[in-house]
Amino acid sequence: MTSSWRNKIYLVLALILLSLYALMPSILGLQSRLEEAEAKGRVLKTWEKTLAWILPQKELNLGLDLRGGIYLELEVSVQEAVSNRLDLIASQTQRYLSSEKIPNVIIERVPKTDRIRALLPNEVALKKLSEYLSKNYSNSLVLQKESNELTYQSEQKDEASLQALVGSLNEKLAPLGALEIERSTGSDTFRVVLPNEAKREEIKQKIASDFKDLKEKNEPGKVVYKPSDAYLNTLHQDSVKQAVETIRNRIDRYGVAEPSIRKLGTNRIAVELPGVSDPARAISIVKQSGKLEFKLVDDSKMTSPQHPRANNEIQDLIAKARVEKKIPEGFSAESVNQINEALKGKISSDSEIAFELQTDPIKKKVVAGTPYVLKRKAEVTGDMLRGAQVSVGNEGPYVSLSFNPIGAKLFGELTAANAQKGFLAIILDGNVMSAPFIKVAIPNGEAQITLGAGDYNTQLQEAENLSLVLREGALPASLKEITKTIIGPSLGKNAIHEGLRAALIAALVVVAFMILYYKASGLIADVVLGVNVLLIMGVLAMFQATLTLPGIAGIALTMAMALDANIIIFERIREEIKSGKPIKIAVNAGFSNALTAVIDTHLTTFLSGIVLYQFGTGPIRGFAVTLMIGVVTTLLTAYWVTHLIYEYWIQKKNPETLSI
Amino acid sequence: MKIVEKEIPFIQNQSFLLILSLILTMGSLLLMVYHGFNLGIDFKGGIKLQYKLSQSIESGKIQEALTKGTGEKILVQQVGQPSENLYAFELQTPKENIDTFSTKVTEVLKKEFQLETVTLIKEEAVGAKAGSEIFKKGQVSVIVAWILILIYIGFRFDFYFSPGAIVALLHDLLIVLGGFAITGREINLTVLAAFLTILGYSVNDTIIVYDRVRENAKKFKSLPIEDLVNQSINETLSRTIVTSLTMFFVVLVLFIMGSGDIKDFAFAMIIGVVTGTYSSIFIASPIYIFLKKHGHRFGMSA
Repeated sequence: MTSSWRNKIYLVLALILLSLYALMPSILGLQSRLEEAEAKGRVLKTWEKTLAWILPQKELNLGLDLRGGIYLELEVSVQEAVSNRLDLIASQTQRYLSSEKIPNVIIERVPKTDRIRALLPNEVALKKLSEYLSKNYSNSLVLQKESNELTYQSEQKDEASLQALVGSLNEKLAPLGALEIERSTGSDTFRVVLPNEAKREEIKQKIASDFKDLKEKNEPGKVVYKPSDAYLNTLHQDSVKQAVETIRNRIDRYGVAEPSIRKLGTNRIAVELPGVSDPARAISIVKQSGKLEFKLVDDSKMTSPQHPRANNEIQDLIAKARVEKKIPEGFSAESVNQINEALKGKISSDSEIAFELQTDPIKKKVVAGTPYVLKRKAEVTGDMLRGAQVSVGNEGPYVSLSFNPIGAKLFGELTAANAQKGFLAIILDGNVMSAPFIKVAIPNGEAQITLGAGDYNTQLQEAENLSLVLREGALPASLKEITKTIIGPSLGKNAIHEGLRAALIAALVVVAFMILYYKASGLIADVVLGVNVLLIMGVLAMFQATLTLPGIAGIALTMAMALDANIIIFERIREEIKSGKPIKIAVNAGFSNALTAVIDTHLTTFLSGIVLYQFGTGPIRGFAVTLMIGVVTTLLTAYWVTHLIYEYWIQKKNPETLSI
Repeated sequence: MKIVEKEIPFIQNQSFLLILSLILTMGSLLLMVYHGFNLGIDFKGGIKLQYKLSQSIESGKIQEALTKGTGEKILVQQVGQPSENLYAFELQTPKENIDTFSTKVTEVLKKEFQLETVTLIKEEAVGAKAGSEIFKKGQVSVIVAWILILIYIGFRFDFYFSPGAIVALLHDLLIVLGGFAITGREINLTVLAAFLTILGYSVNDTIIVYDRVRENAKKFKSLPIEDLVNQSINETLSRTIVTSLTMFFVVLVLFIMGSGDIKDFAFAMIIGVVTGTYSSIFIASPIYIFLKKHGHRFGMSA
């Protein structure tokens, strides 16, 4: 026996031992044993300590379908992130220009577009603006002189008829295309956004004929700026990346073992949480967007006297809109949007409705919502937040906030400008949390969110959740669930049991058949097959690849293919023996003749494995992984190890006949 | 123990099999067009819930209550052993958010039937958009796998072999799809994996025959092409039968013992194993012969 022979056998034995080593923790249930000990504070026994020191601690990584858990696919509303950012840019530029003592500047975002509109009094202002933009946003924001809108001034001066005018303008001009009619609060100036340049004349004529008291106004200092494509792209990518990071932070806090959070395509995030016992809570923590905004309450006769909530007239309008437009009950983002859409022209164009929700503390369900009329533009946003803590005051627990330098400055200016004049609404995820009266300027950037009604403990829990969400970073945009799979843990156990039983019986049938048909050679094939399965499982454990239910099917399939390799070889050997060759030559010829067919068949399978892995998700990937690992181990075992056994057999016994 | 000894004239007696194949594939195509598939929620979007209830309730009654309580058309089915009180609900994408739908169902079940415990043990929800994207991806993956395999054969063998393998593949896939159309079995992600496995298996089988043809062509240069192919098929026949049978056993056991996705997977594989074996002998090989004989007319040269 040559030394290369011995080396080959050692190599095979080493591979088998390595697989066994990798699988030991799973066989002994080591990981769960250690975790349990840690959870109960139990002192480890000596053998447990020794094993934990010798063996790897990772058990086989079971897929969600086998151990239960949650799979979520979330879509990040990148558009929302972009418009939040643009709002912010608009208010920052506005603040800059007023700090430069330039009067009569209006900067706002054109609704539903990426454009920001600036109305400037003179050329100096324009120069300042473009300087500011190029300094702070280098080339990310593009200035445009042309504009696709018309400006009119009304002769009417009183608020009610001006508002009525917006309504009738909307009505008359809507048939001419998708238009926006805008009016800043208290102003007698209207802007009509054109659907396209071709409609300009047509719309001009319509207004001239139907609205005699409107005069066209030329605004020389009107510019529009919008983000460049590259900047938009960066904003998109950043918002998804930030969402992934935020979710990861939250889940780490929640404490799920081995969560998987990854980006999927351009704006999707896949979240896998194995073994979660309370799916509803986990999902709500992942999804809670924690978008914090501070908006001024619109006080132009729309609020009740002495209170920031919307007055009766507007409440009636909302109630009417719900009935007329068949807006569903409740206060979801969607229905609030519909309400705002329906009230267009009835409240001033830079305002919007938002609700403060009342929750029934026992049923934990929203029972009512108090409407507020707010300025649409957020003055301070959550991304300027530095920290959030729970504090307890005389009136119960509250969340205290502190802002970063920019946020603190903005907050200070905002409160100084509105002290003793107005209410500031604190909005979380689109809902008004509270709307306190601004008593004095708050220069140091500290604010508080008080919580709704409820007993002390609920309030404390709520405050803790809220501060967690705020502290872990607000999401730049809200998330929409597009796919959700929850598998209860017991179902996982059933599945694993069932899959294993089916695979085992299939294996038994095949093993028996092989021995019956190929006798001793069949037995060799069966033993090698066992080694093959061991190696597959070992590789899965070593690389922490995931074993899923289709993965078990993949292993069953690999077994069939491994046998095919042996069958091809055995049939070849039979042929060679039939043609009268001596055993040793027949065996060698059989192996070498079969090689091309075995390799070709396995490589094609490997190719489909690669494609499956590329395109598949979750369980399908599990199938692809076992298939690909199986192809490699099958070539190794079914071809190479079988060959080794035959050579050994012939060398040792030098048989006259072969049991095949 | 021997399965075959005699030379069987496969190539000479096959015109009626060609007609059979034609009928089967055309039939499958017609079925696919007129009958359509039962696409699972993986592809068309929708919600699948599985509940364990504390007592047994007739599924018709549950269906009635849920339809009234939620305003959606929900399919209710009892699954598992009758004593387990397991129920599966399925519906296409509802008008409301998919995230909150199961809460509503749980509420209705509790209220309507005064049950002690209502446990949601499995929930799968796929948005309509996500579903159609997955479907597209699935189709793409089948085509990509197919092309990769063809390129591989083209290089490993030569281009007289490739077309036969292409047609054999299409033939197998069509018949399997026909099987799904006629039984109304659900096509989901796992079944898609089965389709890809069938592609792989069908090519495996064809490659074994081709490999032998290539080998014999070098050995017996003067043999007429029909005899050469026929001999090759006969020589590989024992392997074909033994392998197909073992494969068949495996998937049959999976089909009988498995449930849910595994059962669907095995169903596809059962049809796939049979047609895959058949097509390498009766589809791929004759096409190879035809091209060898008449290929020069289409500009093919060896």
